Amino acid sequence: QDEGLAEGYAIKPVCRKVKLSLTEPTLTENVSDWNRLQAALRSELDCGEIHIALPVLRELAETLRAGDWDVTVTVAQLNGCAEVVHLEPGHSDRKSFGLAVDIGTTTVVVYLIDLDSGLTLGKKGTYNKQARYGDDVITRMIHASDKKGGLQDLHKAVIDTINQLIDEVLEQSQASGDDVHMAMVAGNSTMTHLFLGLTPKYIRLEPYIPLAAETPPVRAEELGLNINPTAFVATFASVASYVGGDIVSGTLVTNMAQSDEITLFIDIGTNGEMVLGNRDWLMTAACSAGPAFEGGGITFGMRAMKGAIEYVEIDADTYEVKVSTIGKMKPMGICGSGLIDCLAKLREVGLIDRAGKIQTDLDTPRIRQGDDGWEFVLVFGEETECNKDIIITENDIKNLLRAKGAVYAGIRSMLKAVQLDEEVIEKVLIAGGFGNFINIRDAISIGLLPDLPPEKYRFIGNSSVKGARLSLLSQDAYHEAQELGKKMTYLELSVGNDFMDEFMSALFIPHTDMTLFPSVTNLK
Amino acid sequence: MGLTGLEIFKQLPKTNTGDCGFPTCLAFAMALAAGKTSLDKCPHVSEEAKEALGAAAAPPIKLVKVGTGDHAVEMGDETELFRHDKRFYHPTALAVLIEDTEDVAARVAAFDELEFDRVGLHFVTDMVALQCTSGDGAKFKAAAEAVAAGTQKPFVLICEDVAAMETAATAVADKKPLLYAATNDNYEAMTELAKKLECPLAVKGNGLADLADLVEKITKLGYKELVLDSGNRETSQVLADLTQIRRSAVRKRFRPFGYPAMAFTTKDDPMEEVVQAGVYLSKYAGMIVLKASKKEEILPLVSWRQNLFTDPQKPIQVEAKAVAVGDVTPDSPVYITTNFSLTYYIVEGEVEGSKVPAWIVPVNTDGISVLTAWAAGKLTGDSINKALKENDMESKVNHKTLVLPGYVAVLSGSTEEETGWKVIVGPREAAGIGKFAKDNFGK
Amino acid sequence: MAFNAVKEKYRSKVGEVTLGATKEQGGTRGYTITVGGEGALPFLHFEGEIPNRPVVALEVWDHAPADWNACFDSYFGDVYNDAAAWAKKCVEEYGADLIVLRLKGADPDINDASPEDCAKVVKDVLAAVECPLVVLGCGKEEKDNQVLPVVAEETSGENLLIGVAEQENYKSLTAACMVHKHNIIAQSPIDINICKQLNILITEMNLPDDRIVIDPTIAALGYGLEYGYSIMERARNGALQGDKMLGLPMIGNVGFEVWRTKEANASVEDFPAWGEQEPRGILWEATTATALLQAGMDIVVMRHPKAASLIKQNIEELMVANEV
Ligand code: B12
Ligand code: SF4
Repeated sequence: QDEGLAEGYAIKPVCRKVKLSLTEPTLTENVSDWNRLQAALRSELDCGEIHIALPVLRELAETLRAGDWDVTVTVAQLNGCAEVVHLEPGHSDRKSFGLAVDIGTTTVVVYLIDLDSGLTLGKKGTYNKQARYGDDVITRMIHASDKKGGLQDLHKAVIDTINQLIDEVLEQSQASGDDVHMAMVAGNSTMTHLFLGLTPKYIRLEPYIPLAAETPPVRAEELGLNINPTAFVATFASVASYVGGDIVSGTLVTNMAQSDEITLFIDIGTNGEMVLGNRDWLMTAACSAGPAFEGGGITFGMRAMKGAIEYVEIDADTYEVKVSTIGKMKPMGICGSGLIDCLAKLREVGLIDRAGKIQTDLDTPRIRQGDDGWEFVLVFGEETECNKDIIITENDIKNLLRAKGAVYAGIRSMLKAVQLDEEVIEKVLIAGGFGNFINIRDAISIGLLPDLPPEKYRFIGNSSVKGARLSLLSQDAYHEAQELGKKMTYLELSVGNDFMDEFMSALFIPHTDMTLFPSVTNLK
Repeated sequence: MGLTGLEIFKQLPKTNTGDCGFPTCLAFAMALAAGKTSLDKCPHVSEEAKEALGAAAAPPIKLVKVGTGDHAVEMGDETELFRHDKRFYHPTALAVLIEDTEDVAARVAAFDELEFDRVGLHFVTDMVALQCTSGDGAKFKAAAEAVAAGTQKPFVLICEDVAAMETAATAVADKKPLLYAATNDNYEAMTELAKKLECPLAVKGNGLADLADLVEKITKLGYKELVLDSGNRETSQVLADLTQIRRSAVRKRFRPFGYPAMAFTTKDDPMEEVVQAGVYLSKYAGMIVLKASKKEEILPLVSWRQNLFTDPQKPIQVEAKAVAVGDVTPDSPVYITTNFSLTYYIVEGEVEGSKVPAWIVPVNTDGISVLTAWAAGKLTGDSINKALKENDMESKVNHKTLVLPGYVAVLSGSTEEETGWKVIVGPREAAGIGKFAKDNFGK
Repeated sequence: MAFNAVKEKYRSKVGEVTLGATKEQGGTRGYTITVGGEGALPFLHFEGEIPNRPVVALEVWDHAPADWNACFDSYFGDVYNDAAAWAKKCVEEYGADLIVLRLKGADPDINDASPEDCAKVVKDVLAAVECPLVVLGCGKEEKDNQVLPVVAEETSGENLLIGVAEQENYKSLTAACMVHKHNIIAQSPIDINICKQLNILITEMNLPDDRIVIDPTIAALGYGLEYGYSIMERARNGALQGDKMLGLPMIGNVGFEVWRTKEANASVEDFPAWGEQEPRGILWEATTATALLQAGMDIVVMRHPKAASLIKQNIEELMVANEV
């Protein structure tokens, strides 16, 4: 599945090798080497201007002659221009590779791709090393703008992260960095800024303007990436300060802009970006859900790793709890899907009311007063990996309610802006690391997602890196992505009261307007 | 309401050129649907589309102006049925009825003094409604001249006899009074007169269906500066009529009702009259003619009008003013929070519940939550300092210690630097304030 | 272009709540009052049924109020110290449809009256009048949690309307109303969401929704009346569009709010530009009420008899059928 391209795109990589046989110059046919190469390239490619970087140009004379006027040129074609990124004498069959990169605030993912076959040779992901300067984007923005050398710190941290992953994928697939000639990078606006070493300062401050929405392609050596120094590095344009290239890239893989069906695409990460629309129109918003579903800000929250509780069962009479964890280990914490499940179950058996308050008059030792107010013990210390009681506090619940409320309110606000009802949504595509695991029924029953038939929902994993891969392999796709960015209408949720009204209505399980959740039955 | 954004969008070029000042055609369409821009801002729209969108682009209710100069009254141009959707724009004009058989000059002088100051706002009554009770054109004219001389404010001339109306109106035409009224019997001549004098014209029907017909006939004669009166006078029926006129115009773009509407009170007892006017004011009258004219009678009405026409879309925030919770003393703690109402009230509730009297200082963050404000650079050492200064906290308490919300513990350093106050970091959630207060400030 | 009336087709209507119980029904009331049931926006008879007219209540306290304006003396001065007589006067002389009895005396800072004393006052008032009764606590949560359950128990079967239940404090009153068959006032702080939340929480304790009256909290004219107005208007729209948790009758404490304002109380000497005090106060109260009636209020709690009668008359006129 992963290996295919999205419907409607054929393999036509943005960067590929072209084998040329140039006519040897003579006294009368005496244009320069570079003109000669351009003329030959032009007859092979459909392109406008052709550029070449100085370091590559320096190699030109000898390379042409070394191959006896046969030459293999690696060209990147973006935005109608062609860029010669590498030269080899003779007709070379050396492979050429590309990287698809997703820079998330928390994790970074790199795919190594064979640009001829389109095969993905390796995939690696790890935590973003920027985390040492702050878990969230805002802290990092502040570090970048207020600390001396801060911008450099963050730039270096993300490059280091990517380089580490590059080394790993190269090793995994026994490839050489010299053969990597192109990288396609998707990230949110702040991450893209930091990756390029641009200040994100003004993204944060009113009126929230990025330094650049469209960023020019650069060469690997300018950034210090461990691939061929002359490799081309392209980024996706962002739509707004908080709707970045990762969303554009994700929207590309959803194919929603090729379809008549109205599709809702949600990336449930820290920021909860979403796109609604179809072939005719696209609207996007960032609902600022916060990291609760990634385990952030929750007492025992954790990412979906071994030892994370992912399912919870609670006995309706005894309030006894059974949990199951990823990797079937002793529990260490609760991941996002576990938290959603937990919230749904707590409500189902009446341990919390619809406002998320723990029902302190129930008779069970699992309800108790802790340092942070009332809490419910999911697993007692003797059964946990950490030997501590794993609890969920009333504050945790409030945090989750805010996060789920923000997502649902974002969806409602977009629908309201175009005056459409939930029912018109034909498809809901959920992306994001954690998105893969959520149980749709639970998510609906707590009011995170609209009450639509489950068959309308689909998970699409890390759509951002997939979009980067697709763009790497198809010039048309890359072009489409550029267009998508321009086509999306950004809905600013902080203007007017609509979002806040919706948000406050959604701070309830599932919602204060129960008619929006007809399938969620009345429980005790 | 008319067309939705998407319906309008379908008619646009969908090329996202940005020439209209909006980034995309959809953004432009939504703004157009919300009445925030006009169709001519898009240079690329086709003739066909212009035609199709014409009605959507025109305001549902015409703006009609009575009088001249600073005191001119504007009515109409409303787009909503409920103020919670979006604001109402043109406050109902209150016109005090005076008859030409009274001592007009004296009554006008008294009227002109009907002004009030309340909560820093200045209120006035807007118009005189001069009624031709005498039936005598000359007398009516003299009265009209007395009104024109006695007040700058605009007026209504009430007389269905065209000849008498002409006599009076011609004399004061430069003041652009509202001529009341064209009826089935006189509309041709009355419209002719209004047209000639360029004065707005009230149309009085015999129920709604008849009113619609009559308006059509008048607009066919080429006059559109109209104000509508269904002709009914029973409170309940007038309420229904005013509602229908507004709804037809806003929801159906029914052209004959695309004008402001007026109502008359009928009660003799001024108190009953005020209550009756209160109904019409609440529900869509662009103008009300009433007899009540005492200060205590008019003040409640102008106050309700002021309330009703405020903007409901302001962010949900509280005033950024320090609040004393409980019986504070100079030793009481000082809590910092934001002026987002949700945040503020949660914190206030918990501080109250803690039973430790305290000051709450809401920092002006344009009504956003603690973390959002921190994220957007609106809750900073600097803004906290400003809030302490503006509320003169140094003179309210005898210590210099403040409590920061736990979520913004990172602000401790910059806050201490900017304010010179010592910072204690509070719990993250307000729910922890009770325990926190006991531990830190309890005896 | 012929005129075609625009009539809304609503999905739902407001639920009805009946207050009071006659002998046959297990109480002692001479009659019951039903509120709610509207199938249209306020008084728009042309598009839906409005089966019950809004009702006007007068406010009675369980002890002589210390800070009421002197203009009330001539109406209630003789009965301030006798809640039963006060209530009787409100009904018989001033035409109140029902009585709202405020147990102010329970306030620990006032008389700190015991729950039993409070229950006795309630029973005295019940004995003095035939109309259904609304009972409000003193407003101090802890004390009301002691007083109201006792009142509920002692008047079991009377089908009172008791208030108020709030988001943080609804359980004991809800339980008491359930056991002893009373109706409850669910009060939320000018916030449509909390209003809905509270109604849901209360119904989930199994108190049926035909026993809940919403108090969305109102402010007086000039003090944020428009907020309460818009909340009521939104709630009523929501109710008609099918949101059951908004489809409940609404009550507004008009008199209580209005008579705290400067505009109602200031003397003409202090504010000559505002005109005479008493008529101004009356109209301040009546205007607040008339506005809220247009937003959907079903039970209007007034304080000044003259304002109450103005509003009763207004309601009567508005209940005359209209058509389009
Ligand atoms: C709703 C929301 C918005 C709304 C705005 C709402 C508003 N009026 O504030 C919108 C969509 C406009 C918005 C925008 C942004 N948001 Co926002 N938003 C949220 C959300 C979902 C809820 C915030 C909220 O209303 N909380 C409820 C109130 C009551 O909480 P509170 O003010 O913090 O108060 C509590 C405590 O702080 C404490 N407390 C308060 N005062 C005091 C005082 C004392 C003394 C004590 C002891 C305690 C205390 O008690 C209260 C209750 O327990 C949060 C995420 C979340 N799940 O919480 C993100 C969040 C706050 N937003 C965030 C961000 C980054 C933004 C943006 C900058 C960018 C973006 N992501 O869109 C923009 C910019 C804002 C702007 N344009 O000005 C981040 C904040 C920083 C971070 N850690 O990264 C968060 C955490 C989400 C995230 N992405 O991680 N946001
Ligand atoms: S000017 Fe016209 S075509 Fe261009 S974006 Fe605006 S609406 Fe679209």
